[in-house]
Amino acid sequence: MTFLHPLALVGLAAAAIPALLHLLERRVPPEVEFPPLRYLSEAERQNARRLKLRHLLLLILRTALIVLIVLAAARPLFPTPASGGSPHEPTALAVILDNSPSSGLVVDGRPALERLKAMARGSLARASASDRLWLVLADGVARAGTPEALLATVDSAAVSARRLDLTAAVRAATQLVGAEPLPAREVHVVSDLQRTALGPGRAGLPRGVRVLALAPPSQAPANRGVGAARVTDGAAAVSIVGTPGTGAAGGAAPVTLRIRGREVGRALAVPGSTVSITLPPLGPGWWVGDAVLDADELRADDTRLLVWRVAAPARVAALSTAGGGRFVAAALAVLEEGHRVQGGGTDVAIGDRPEAGALVSVVLPPAEPALIGQANRALAARGGRWRFASAGTPGPIAGSALPAIAGLQVTRRYRIEAGTGDARRGTGDDATVLATVNGQPWLVRDGNVLLLGSRLDTAWTALPAAPAFVPFVDALVNRLARGEALISEVEGVPRVEFRTSGADTIGAIVYGLDPQESDLTPAPPALVHDVLGAEVLDGAAFAAARFAGAGRRDGSGLLLMLALVFALMELGVATGTR
Amino acid sequence: MRITGPGLSSTRDIRLFISFREAMADVQRIDLLDPAEVARFGGIEIVAQEVVEGFLSGIHRSPFRGFSVEFTEHRAYQPGDELRYLDWKILARADRLFVKQFEQETNLRAMILVDASRSMAWRGAPTRLTKRAYADRLAAALALILLRQRDATGLITFDEIVREVVPARVKAGQWARLVRGLVDTPDGRGTAAQAALVRLTSLLARRGLVVLVSDLLFDRELALRALHYLRHRGHQVIVLHLMDPAEAELAGPPEVRYRDPESAASVVVRPRELARAYQATVRREIDAWRTACRRHGIAYHHILTDMPFGLALRLLA
Repeated sequence: MTFLHPLALVGLAAAAIPALLHLLERRVPPEVEFPPLRYLSEAERQNARRLKLRHLLLLILRTALIVLIVLAAARPLFPTPASGGSPHEPTALAVILDNSPSSGLVVDGRPALERLKAMARGSLARASASDRLWLVLADGVARAGTPEALLATVDSAAVSARRLDLTAAVRAATQLVGAEPLPAREVHVVSDLQRTALGPGRAGLPRGVRVLALAPPSQAPANRGVGAARVTDGAAAVSIVGTPGTGAAGGAAPVTLRIRGREVGRALAVPGSTVSITLPPLGPGWWVGDAVLDADELRADDTRLLVWRVAAPARVAALSTAGGGRFVAAALAVLEEGHRVQGGGTDVAIGDRPEAGALVSVVLPPAEPALIGQANRALAARGGRWRFASAGTPGPIAGSALPAIAGLQVTRRYRIEAGTGDARRGTGDDATVLATVNGQPWLVRDGNVLLLGSRLDTAWTALPAAPAFVPFVDALVNRLARGEALISEVEGVPRVEFRTSGADTIGAIVYGLDPQESDLTPAPPALVHDVLGAEVLDGAAFAAARFAGAGRRDGSGLLLMLALVFALMELGVATGTR
Repeated sequence: MRITGPGLSSTRDIRLFISFREAMADVQRIDLLDPAEVARFGGIEIVAQEVVEGFLSGIHRSPFRGFSVEFTEHRAYQPGDELRYLDWKILARADRLFVKQFEQETNLRAMILVDASRSMAWRGAPTRLTKRAYADRLAAALALILLRQRDATGLITFDEIVREVVPARVKAGQWARLVRGLVDTPDGRGTAAQAALVRLTSLLARRGLVVLVSDLLFDRELALRALHYLRHRGHQVIVLHLMDPAEAELAGPPEVRYRDPESAASVVVRPRELARAYQATVRREIDAWRTACRRHGIAYHHILTDMPFGLALRLLA
């Protein structure tokens, strides 16, 4: 048993009042002459036992009356199996409302999110002022607030474009409520409990935290979605994802490719497969299209944007002194055969020093250390601000501009340093430094010059021996040399944002849904319990179990009734036994 | 009304008496007024005399009939006369209403015993007479009535011992002596009255009427034994049990220490919770006295001190 207002228990000291009054009242009674004392003594003698019993009964009744009233004022809460509308002891509660894209699934004509919102509202509506509340949506942000404020947030919540990692969300929520010094701590997971929503690892519940999860529908709804769409080599590769094993609904479905709203290709695809749709001949420039599936119950994943650039193959000249030697030559030959580059051109020149006739020069360090100075002077003569420095330590390649070669080992290299006053030094996503080794620049774009810290030879790096070497050379001459960035795909409301540098468009960001959202397969309760530590309950059980760990019934009414009974008994004893 | 009577010798008494009569001009039966109100207008003599006047005018007959009376003459019937004194023969013969009148002879010896113990000097409220003051006035009135009937009347006051003895006489000035005896008896201490009663028996050698006026706060068996002895000796015994109304019903503060003025014994009680039991005890005590007296042929009357003197005297009639 706990109390809502435990401070009121101080009033229990008042239970001593009847006894104290009795003692104080007896201390100095007034003295009066009374001749017929013999009658009085006789009456008292005959009623001594009754009076003693009456005094004792009155003392007990009055003391119990005060104790009952004080206990009622303290609002005692008794544990009860049923939650009902009964109050509960102060609870730290985090409600995780999964409004990820999959919650937009239409079930029986209503979005699944409406059902989830109703359950979340039920949890928050039962909260009292003494509770500590948070609401976590698909963005993963824990919003603290009053029940009214959080209810308003729930009401205004719409289907989000962000995927929710339930494991991470539950972990964060349990840590929040676990840190609260309240008698009860609960996390309510109101989600469609996709299996893919369970992230890696386990939530790891703090002690005393209870996690309740709303059970998903027993049968996985059929769904198909466009998981990815990219353009490579004049064709769009479209990956179809969805709920596996959903029978006929999971069969082949037509995929339409549209450019600027015009259908340019169509193919059949089944979930889990990737189809290639040949693009029509397009002029140079940036193109935006979308791959579209026929509409189903989850509309959000039925379309996906794709963006690509159409450009003529670079004309590359590999100088005889090219640091790549035969490896670069072989790669260029392959690319030329694949119409990715043209030989003998002046667009890109690869060599030990900048080529005067080329638009872009890819400069590799000379094999002889004695020639470093000469190379640096040639770079300076082209107005370059970066130069080769001393030899650097071996290490792996890192950098987001060329993810395919990340991790490949560099055994020999020169450090690339900027001249005095250059403030544009950096690593990672810096537009200037495209790749690093041990945190030091390894591939740098400096105006119309690309500097590499190592020669493209297996004596310097493992790159030429790796499968990623030819794509690397392709990117080097067709993309990096032109100053293009990667076309990146980011989770978000479907749209395209182009990156520009001056008047040139150098890249694009394609926003779309996480393809994992298309797989609506619910997680088995055992898995949910294992990963999240949650009790998986259906709607009715979930509603009943909310605050049930802290379910308490207010006993003040019962105590007041008892007090009334005691008061009536006291009245009866006090007046009826005279 | 004629201004006369014993005790009215001084100018002050006469003046008090006149003012009293004037105040009582509108009241026909002053013997039925509140005893405390009546007592406020004068001493024992004045009050007793007026009470007796009112009492006798109300009943129009001798209250103590049957003690040696002889027929003297007839007189015309007046409203209020008792029908048993109607002469039915004259009524039958002449169809006229006459009542028979009797001449009272003085061969009765009455002795009034007044308890003057400490407990008699108590009253439950300042607006009431003490039991002793009530007893004095009642005894004086009773003595006056008896003396007017020419009965020899005497007085004995007592507490633990016999305090005053006025032998029974019928001569002039006897009532004044009786009143003086009452006035001269101070409030006593204890009430070992049964011992005094035993001694009284020796003072009452000749048969007659014995009237005991007391609050009876003493051992009942011993007292009854003495009274029974008097009864055995041929006396007619009347017991007037005086009680203050506050003694009949217990009331007071939530808790109080009651102390016996005679024995100094005390007890702490809560009047509210003991009131009912106390009332029952008092009722039982009165019933016990009444039953015991009846068994011994003794007349018993319970009188509260707020009872008008006329009503108290009526009990004796």
